[in-house]
Amino acid sequence: MNDIGNTAVLRACGVSKEHGQGQSLVRAVDELDLAVPTGEMLAVMGPSGCGKSTLLHLLGGLERPTGGEVWLAGQRIDTMSERALARLRRRSIGFVFQAFHLMEELSAAENVELPALLAGCSARTAKRRAHELLERVGLADRARHLPPELSGGQRQRVAIARALVNEPLVILADEPSGNLDTAATLEVLRLFEELRSAGQTLLIVTHDERVAATADRLISMRDGTFVDDTRLSDSATMRLGDLIGLED
Amino acid sequence: MGRILLIRRLVLKDMRRHPAEAAMFLLAITAATATLALGLAMNGATNNLYRQTRAATAGPDVVAMSAESGQAALTTLAPLKHAPGVVGHSGPYPLLYTMLKAGGSTVRAVVKGADTAPGPIDQPRVTTGSWVRLGGIVVERGFATALGVRVGDRVTVADRSFPVVGIAVTSATMVYPWAEMGGQGDGTDDYSGLVWLTQSNAQALSGPQRPMFYALNLKLADPAATQAFVDSYRTSTIPVNFFTWQFIAVQDAVLLNDTQPVLVIGSWLLGFLAVVGVATLVAGRAAKQTHRVGLLKAVGATPGQIAAVLLTEYVALALLADGLGLIAAWLGAPALVDPSAGLLSTSTALTRGTVISVTCLALAMAAFTTLGPAVRAARTATVHALADAARRPQQRTGLTALSARLPTPLLLGLRLTARRPFRAILHAGGIAATVTAITALLTYYAQPQQGYDLGSSTLSNLRADQGRHVLLAVTVALVALAAVNIIVITWTTAQEARRSLAIARTLGATPGQVSAGLSLAQLLPALPGAITGVPVGIGLYWTFSVGTMAKPSTWWMLADVLGTLLAVAALTAVPARIAARRPVAQILSAETP
Repeated sequence: MNDIGNTAVLRACGVSKEHGQGQSLVRAVDELDLAVPTGEMLAVMGPSGCGKSTLLHLLGGLERPTGGEVWLAGQRIDTMSERALARLRRRSIGFVFQAFHLMEELSAAENVELPALLAGCSARTAKRRAHELLERVGLADRARHLPPELSGGQRQRVAIARALVNEPLVILADEPSGNLDTAATLEVLRLFEELRSAGQTLLIVTHDERVAATADRLISMRDGTFVDDTRLSDSATMRLGDLIGLED
Repeated sequence: MGRILLIRRLVLKDMRRHPAEAAMFLLAITAATATLALGLAMNGATNNLYRQTRAATAGPDVVAMSAESGQAALTTLAPLKHAPGVVGHSGPYPLLYTMLKAGGSTVRAVVKGADTAPGPIDQPRVTTGSWVRLGGIVVERGFATALGVRVGDRVTVADRSFPVVGIAVTSATMVYPWAEMGGQGDGTDDYSGLVWLTQSNAQALSGPQRPMFYALNLKLADPAATQAFVDSYRTSTIPVNFFTWQFIAVQDAVLLNDTQPVLVIGSWLLGFLAVVGVATLVAGRAAKQTHRVGLLKAVGATPGQIAAVLLTEYVALALLADGLGLIAAWLGAPALVDPSAGLLSTSTALTRGTVISVTCLALAMAAFTTLGPAVRAARTATVHALADAARRPQQRTGLTALSARLPTPLLLGLRLTARRPFRAILHAGGIAATVTAITALLTYYAQPQQGYDLGSSTLSNLRADQGRHVLLAVTVALVALAAVNIIVITWTTAQEARRSLAIARTLGATPGQVSAGLSLAQLLPALPGAITGVPVGIGLYWTFSVGTMAKPSTWWMLADVLGTLLAVAALTAVPARIAARRPVAQILSAETP
């Protein structure tokens, strides 16, 4: 564990998140320890309300823990100021949400450019990167389309391109296939597969067992705690070809 | 550069996405800034025009008018030509006080004998036609406008007909209708207009019934020291009335005494209504804006960048509205600052103070309406923001318990009002502002209308007419803005409460009851607003009225309040009806509790 902890890009030590007080106190996340090594694709599964989305928010600095520590690339992030956290998210973390969360008034390309421009890239560089990424996710011909003009799968691919634009250390995906049909889920998984092959660190919170099956490691959660942490062997990790069943 | 591009892009795209909201924001603030700029432009505007006219017409520093007639007057005025401090003069010119007939009107007129080539002091500027010649008459522009006289028309002066050969402007006399200049500090009750004839024509009209008086134009070594010059003769017994150029300028500005307070107070009322409308619009967009903020935070925007994105749009629109308002005032001011048309109004520059005041008003309105929601949105936790967590309405348990005993529409209306009490207060204030203006207008019409009595004919009262027109325009603008506000407030209330209203419908409320509830939610605050507006309107009118004020009839005031409430009910009916008829299942399935 220590070896993993030392090489981990993302680490949580005894991290907790409580909501409410007294009788109505709820422990959404209860003193969890987690280490995600560079290049690993980790899936977190569990029933609704078990705290998996809260864990993802804590790891990504979207929420502050009520206890414990969160480290990203050797930096403790749970004590950072809002401003520093914003910069960290911008540079080191890419988010992919179930609801896509694209800006509807911006085109696909402009949505992808958004984090790059916030990070201070020149307009030209941001445009170039957005073009490259949209090509990579197969949406170069949809660059000028607004999100409402895209299918769910296409919107999620735009969101993935946006998450990648600043070459983050880790991508955190919250139910990325939750709003997608089978074909669109396959498109997204194909992209994750490519990212995994390229050594991108990924943490995916999902309900979908088939999505989880593509990961290197699977953690099961219940009532704010980990109940199982399984390293999937190569034979157990499903490759994209095995996912053809998704199209049934 | 990238960040600036991003802010610009987000602002422009958002405006393009919500053009109606941007247009309303722009329109509301432009109306307020233009009115305030016009009101402030009145400050010293006439004085500026008089100075321009004085410069263009080589106006005298002091006009000395004999109180005697005939040779005695010439004898009295003669020493003044060489009095200490006097460096130039023209005249004395003969003056006759007689009647003039033109276009069916018979009015008092001052006939001034003039040189066919004006002297070095007082060179009236001919704006149409030519200068006076033997057998021809020139009419002062303000007088000509009031009479509807043009070059080529014929007028009768002292029973002799003359063709009008020109229209001119001078600074040696007060503007129409005060050409008589009966005496310093008074004499403004004798309304009359000015015409010029050649000296020989003027003299030919004089006789025992029409004695000849004289006016002498004086140029002083120090034009600013006119009062000292006049004071040096105050104790003397010479029968001469002196008129300094400063006094004439002040008297000319009296025509604007009704206009300026209407514009300045109107601008504050319009500003308040703009705030009501814009605050409601912004609040209505709060949920969407909060989601936008969550999204920006998630992709790494700092609080400062978020504040910049949220505020830039409104600040930019406010500055644009400020610019439009100033331009409108700059274009409109010349038409207002010279109601008599007796001065040369080539341009009316807006002072730096006016520009700063109006810009401050525009920015204050933007800040007042947007700063709170922007700060709230920027402070919302990212996760909550992404979950579209709109600002929770206020809970009033006492009111909820009380309303439970009421009929369904009233119950819904009361609870909807109680959800956003500050908005209800703003709405009531907006209605009060509108009723204030309507009441002031009705009070104005309740006053006896007095025109200028120029002898046999009465001509329209320039000062009162302009005051009425401006009051009417401001009231119409207020009513229009209030109407838009009512629709916006009703629709925003319906949108914010759509889930609660949908649940009420699942519990048995009919679309009609929901629609009535939405209308009542606007009528409840409108009632105290309308009632408050009546005494405020009368009080404001009374504050700025001169002399005794006739009170408008009680029926008028009752109609004012009831008419306003009916208008509110009518304006809320359509958006309330549309909102109440949306399918319940569609609303509930689209909402995440």
